[in-house]
Amino acid sequence: MTRKKSFSDRLADWLPRLVMAPSLLVILVGVYLFIAWTGWISLSSSRMVPQYDFVGLEQYYRLWATPRWHTAVANLFIFSALFLAVTIGVGLVMAILLDQNIRAEGALRAVYLYPMALSFIVTGTAWKWILNPDLGIQKVVNGLGWESFVFNWITQPKFAIYTIVIAAVWQSSGFAMAIFLAGLRGIDNSVIKAAQIEGATLPRIYASIIVPMLRPAFLSVTVLLSYIAIKNFDLVLAMTNGGPGNATEVPSTFMFSATFRRNQMGVGAASAMMMLMTVAAIIIPYLYSELKESRDGQ
Amino acid sequence: MASEYGSAARSRMIGRAFIYGSLVLLAALYLMPLWVMITTSLKSLDEIYGGSFIGLPQAVTFEAWGKAWSQACIGTACTGLKPYFINSLMMVVPAVLLSTGIGALNGYVLTKWRFRGANLVFGLILFGCFLPFQAVLLPMAQVLGKLGLSGTIPGLVLVHTVYGICFTTLFFRNYFVTIPDELTKAAQIDGAGFFRIFFSIMLPAALPIMVVSCIWQFTQIWNDFLFGVSFTAGESSPVTVALNNVVNVTMGRKQYNVDMAAAMIAALPTLVVYVVAGRYFVRGLTAGAVKG
Amino acid sequence: MKNLFPALLASSASLIAAMPAQAEVQLEVMHHWVAESEAAALNVVREALAAKGYGWQDSAVGGQSGGNMQQALRSRLASGNPPGAMQFIGWEGIDWSAEGVMRELNALDEANGWEAAIAPQVLPFVKNGDDLIAAPINMHRQNWVWANKAAFDKAGIEQPGTWAELIEDGAKLREVGVIPLAMGDEPWQIQVIFDALVADIGGPEFYNKALVELDPEALSSDTMKQVFDTLRQVRGLVDDGFTGRDWAVASGMVINGQAGMQIMGDWAKGEFLAKGLKPGEDFLCFATPSETPSFQWLIDSFGMFKVTDPEVTKAQDALAEVVMGPKVQHDFNLIKGSIPARTDLPVDDFDDCAKKGFEDRAIAIENGAMLGASTHGFASQPQFATVFGDVVAQFFVNDMASEDAVQMLVSGIDNAR
Repeated sequence: MTRKKSFSDRLADWLPRLVMAPSLLVILVGVYLFIAWTGWISLSSSRMVPQYDFVGLEQYYRLWATPRWHTAVANLFIFSALFLAVTIGVGLVMAILLDQNIRAEGALRAVYLYPMALSFIVTGTAWKWILNPDLGIQKVVNGLGWESFVFNWITQPKFAIYTIVIAAVWQSSGFAMAIFLAGLRGIDNSVIKAAQIEGATLPRIYASIIVPMLRPAFLSVTVLLSYIAIKNFDLVLAMTNGGPGNATEVPSTFMFSATFRRNQMGVGAASAMMMLMTVAAIIIPYLYSELKESRDGQ
Repeated sequence: MASEYGSAARSRMIGRAFIYGSLVLLAALYLMPLWVMITTSLKSLDEIYGGSFIGLPQAVTFEAWGKAWSQACIGTACTGLKPYFINSLMMVVPAVLLSTGIGALNGYVLTKWRFRGANLVFGLILFGCFLPFQAVLLPMAQVLGKLGLSGTIPGLVLVHTVYGICFTTLFFRNYFVTIPDELTKAAQIDGAGFFRIFFSIMLPAALPIMVVSCIWQFTQIWNDFLFGVSFTAGESSPVTVALNNVVNVTMGRKQYNVDMAAAMIAALPTLVVYVVAGRYFVRGLTAGAVKG
Repeated sequence: MKNLFPALLASSASLIAAMPAQAEVQLEVMHHWVAESEAAALNVVREALAAKGYGWQDSAVGGQSGGNMQQALRSRLASGNPPGAMQFIGWEGIDWSAEGVMRELNALDEANGWEAAIAPQVLPFVKNGDDLIAAPINMHRQNWVWANKAAFDKAGIEQPGTWAELIEDGAKLREVGVIPLAMGDEPWQIQVIFDALVADIGGPEFYNKALVELDPEALSSDTMKQVFDTLRQVRGLVDDGFTGRDWAVASGMVINGQAGMQIMGDWAKGEFLAKGLKPGEDFLCFATPSETPSFQWLIDSFGMFKVTDPEVTKAQDALAEVVMGPKVQHDFNLIKGSIPARTDLPVDDFDDCAKKGFEDRAIAIENGAMLGASTHGFASQPQFATVFGDVVAQFFVNDMASEDAVQMLVSGIDNAR
């Protein structure tokens, strides 16, 4: 194999890399260079505009001495865990129910999916009313005769974050449903038939055979929903604006207000770095195992 | 025997009734916010401020819809959402096409033309999906300023394309992994080049995932507010920014009926996309997107 | 070659941007006035500017009490493309001026004698050192009580003279089936009441010590605890549906008699007037009760950014002149519900509440009771003022002891330093 490669051969060798190059370049700049910039700002004394000096970890100390940040971090975990669990659960149930040769499947599917299409800038207002004890569900139920019924979570600092989970599940579970439904459609019907012949009941078949087969769908849903959970911003702003009494602050809203409302750009950058590190701690092991698997699978 | 058969049929009936019951109940719950929005948009402002937030309008009026579309004031410019709606279209179409096209090429390279470090590159791109965008606003603004693109729709297209690549690459890479390598190898032996294989083999096979990618990107970009408000101004704003200006009143009185009508107008394109393309969406996901 | 692509894009982009513009010079004005009445008031300025031959390019960014606008502005400055002019509130103008991006308006000031017409307490917010950097257009008073006259009559109560009386009156209102106080749970709405309490209970001097100078002793004093104690009592006057309620909805509750009072700035007045209610007959407007009455003000002003185009600079001069013009100040404020920033204008055709505000201001200027409203950024700088919002909002919706609130205040302020 000592034959010298011609220019066009060599170009052909390099072509894939050349095609990737622009994407890689913009990602390196738009993601990693900007992360580095944010990291630098988090070590500076920046307040209103970027300052390129160095104050060590001062902004991080300041950040962790802020009670609001502790609330925000706790909320992120509460919100993400509940949001993922409930959305996946509801989405899976909807998908399984929809997969039973349902008439009007198309219409129902559209109903479950439509929330994803709406911007929260305003659906937040609708939710705010629905959850308000004096206007929404509580009032309607009380009006129907059940007068001791209380549903005032949105007014309770300890429970308000759960109302955000409710609205977020409403928005995203249709999307999870679509992915699960797709997974179910990809499973051969003969699997179910064979199990039925052996006398297994339908719920059992789903629990022990079908659902485990949906592993890839679970992975996709988890990635996409984590993305939504971490980016959760509009929803909180529209529904509670971080209230009552900062009880529903999340890292993204904290970062926004530190940088753009409180003249604490350094603290904002520090909170961004903390968020990125958290994401990295979760995503990198996942990426590593996924990619290693695909390499092994060659 | 006959009674046993009958009870089986009955339990089957009960099962079906349970399934339909649950589905319809869920649908009703899902429609509740939409119901609130529609009824509110059909009420007069006096009725709403009189204390009627939820419930049927006493007198139906479409005034709010007309106002939201062509008269509502965004600052001192009382043009309604119309011009901004057009801005959004001018932004979303190229941004979706560009990011999907680039994602397709990337997915193709990362699966069929693996080079050393391809996995690392993919990992780097994928991590970008999870970047909190609040953190990149200022450096991005500086870059756009240097490119002379600040405050313009082309600038916004660029930003959405850059951050859209992450997800589209993920979609296409995971889809193309499922296409057997033998197919491309055979074509290579037949003398087909890099682009030839892409356009004549991969792209036609990629139709389902293209639908998924387009729907996802369309929704994300159309509904984006953060980039829109940071990188455009005044007349070049996308519809979400205009919507925010209609809705997000601090010291003035809120016009809830116009707000709701405006929100639904702003959501119309994505709603149409979901309703019309929803079927292809599930089909596209079935065809391979979920094969992690 | 390297610069061709961006240049090409830029030129096509500027072509798109230039299309709707007419031949006249356009001045881009960034503001967060997106409510209908606010925009109507702003149109007074816009038309006056047009009369001088300059166009008004509107860049409204609403929401987050101007937070979204601040975000947009920072992006614009980072990209080296600031708007021509901008509406400022609180320290914003001074802070940006300190960053060196604002231009001064000294020549115009000297030629027109503006400074003499502006209340001296306002000057620190429009002057950076010796430079005038912003033109104030209006002044709102924040510490008003708006009350439903019929509800007051029904409960047999009159305008309260102290907070203790106000709280007692609340109980009487409740007895006749009226919600004593209408409000929402947004931090700034709670803060409006807090600001009033600090000045009304502690007096103007204490207000300055605690909210402006952020003196730790004042912040942790018994007076401050008393303020929180009273705030706790005020919480008892509010119904439980106050979550996420807009202030205008709260005003609506006072208008239709569902609630007795609202504590809110004079932008609420428009709600009452729009319903045809008459001050003194249908509704009452009085300052929050105190033995040491104060005038808690906030102003909106227009500042100008440094630009390279001399034509735009001329347009900026024109805007400053328009804003400070007596007629614009008069017409603008008639619509906006505030009073002119200039203290030398007649207000004969304003409503009774505005006239009262105008008189109160003259008295307050005399006896040092002009206080910048902390809620709207006219006391301490945003990193501190927002701490008050945090603590007060948390206190209001939780079962927090006054001591703990005071403690949180002190440590929060300390951390933000």
